[in-house]
Amino acid sequence: MKQDFKPNIVGFLCNWCSYAGADLAGSSKLEIKPYLSVIRVMCSSRVNSNLVLNAFLWGADGVLIAGCHPGDCHYEKGNYYVRRRFALLKKILETLDLEPDRLQLSWISASEGKRYAEVVNKFAEDITRLGPSAFHTNPNI
Amino acid sequence: MTATQIDSNKMPTKGAIIPAEEEINKTIVDIFKKSLEKKCFDAILIPVRVPETEAYAWVLLKDQSLLDEANPLPPIISVQGAKALRSLTKRGKMTQNIAAILRPCEIRAAVELSKLKQIHLDNISLISIDCPGAMPLSDYLADPEKSKKIYKNVLEKWGEDDSVRPVCHICNRFSLPSLLHRKSVKISPVEQDEAKMPSIDLHIGLLGGNQEKIFLIPVNPKGREILEKLELKSDDSLDLWQTKVSEVQEKKEKIRKEFNLELKEKIEGQKKLTAVFDECINCHNCMRVCPICYCQQCFFDSDSLTLSPETYISRAEKKGALRFPLDTMLFHLGRMSHMVLSCVSCGVCEDACPMSIPVAQIFSLVADQTQKSFDYTPGINKEEPLPLQDFLEDEFHEVETPSEAMTPEEVN
Ligand code: SF4
Ligand code: SF4
Ligand code: SF4
Ligand code: FES
Repeated sequence: MKQDFKPNIVGFLCNWCSYAGADLAGSSKLEIKPYLSVIRVMCSSRVNSNLVLNAFLWGADGVLIAGCHPGDCHYEKGNYYVRRRFALLKKILETLDLEPDRLQLSWISASEGKRYAEVVNKFAEDITRLGPSAFHTNPNI
Repeated sequence: MTATQIDSNKMPTKGAIIPAEEEINKTIVDIFKKSLEKKCFDAILIPVRVPETEAYAWVLLKDQSLLDEANPLPPIISVQGAKALRSLTKRGKMTQNIAAILRPCEIRAAVELSKLKQIHLDNISLISIDCPGAMPLSDYLADPEKSKKIYKNVLEKWGEDDSVRPVCHICNRFSLPSLLHRKSVKISPVEQDEAKMPSIDLHIGLLGGNQEKIFLIPVNPKGREILEKLELKSDDSLDLWQTKVSEVQEKKEKIRKEFNLELKEKIEGQKKLTAVFDECINCHNCMRVCPICYCQQCFFDSDSLTLSPETYISRAEKKGALRFPLDTMLFHLGRMSHMVLSCVSCGVCEDACPMSIPVAQIFSLVADQTQKSFDYTPGINKEEPLPLQDFLEDEFHEVETPSEAMTPEEVN
């Protein structure tokens, strides 16, 4: 693995829980790896497969989707729906052997600043280990 | 997770055996002539050979005499039957009773479209038929006469002649009744109304009949009513048909498994998959003919993906080069993520591909895996919700990042 590889990770964070969790992690001065580009979405269910695939094709080495814990979604059911969509996309990537590990779904509440830091750091480590994604380095895609 | 369960006690065991006097086709057509005469239906939707050509078209027939050119099992699938049904009922439900005779994959696509509110199935009797497959469109067009002879052999040899399209060669859903009473363990409880549940009323069994007889199999009370009106008793044993169906089923499951393992080998991984789609000319035919691709305007045909020229320059700079037209991979993977849970492996996308890309084989492979993980078989039960429009609170924990609070057992 190249030592100087700095992964590009796109994080779709839901406004009400995970984004607030990220905020808390920041204001608590927790150490967070600087590889995550955060995109705030109103609810995790706003994320669809096109957004994720586009992120991969245009340069992401990893994509994190984070939302409220099941039962806590501010629109009640959003995260249950996104979990299904996510499970589908993950299975597609798995079947075609397209590095499903570059895709992650986490539930992080507004009070879980520490969990936010842990999830992001662990994911950044995993992606660094995987190296750059061939999806955006291959000019033929 | 328990996979699909089939309740074998609920397989139809009785039906009417009809001796085939001349050609099987004529026997079937005669039954439908009689059904018009006896007012079982007001009209029939069935493939008909276009006079003086080798083409087949879907025709809504009200006149018995026109049925002579009908062919419930043409050697090819030109337009997917579900598409024909959609154009018939898009504006609202039928007010007259229609019988639609379709292949199993066409029926299943129609049921999926009814869940998407694009087909109204009210007053439509779906009638399925044991299907030996269809030939590739290109083969048929190259030599229709020869193809028709080959297709006769396909019908006689059931599953042994591989002149049919690859998706037909590996099709394990060629006879619908065996699938109808499957119980899913992963869907929320749905209305278990017996009369409503099977998507078809009547099935035409060809397997086990040796070209000498056919089996008319009522699948629900409506099907039994149709047989009564036709003055047919439905108390003949279906043993011959059932035995042959199970036999072919077993063979096909094995072929499918082996075929998919080999296919996976050829396409998996970013490099191989890119190579497969390298020849794609972005015509989007595969999407246009797919019965499941349900959108009025396809996202991938829209302008939402186009970016400014400067953006392309900067992206080309980053990658070193940029291939145009863009978004081939996004189109295929995106389309897949939209519709693959409802893909019925009908193969018309592949038939329509001018570049001979094995689109249907790939979609079918992914359909198998994804549908299995959702414990969903598309097109079986009208009342079963589409997986992405439904959820259970307690499921798919394996795709979530584990919480610290969870004990190791729960994480599993
Ligand atoms: S993707 Fe291809 S095989 Fe699947 S339903 Fe659509 S046309 Fe049929
Ligand atoms: S690819 Fe997706 S957006 Fe396009 S028609 Fe199919 S389902 Fe609709
Ligand atoms: S039909 Fe074939 S060439 Fe056309 S978009 Fe689909 S895969 Fe590509
Ligand atoms: S609002 Fe946070 S997941 Fe829906």
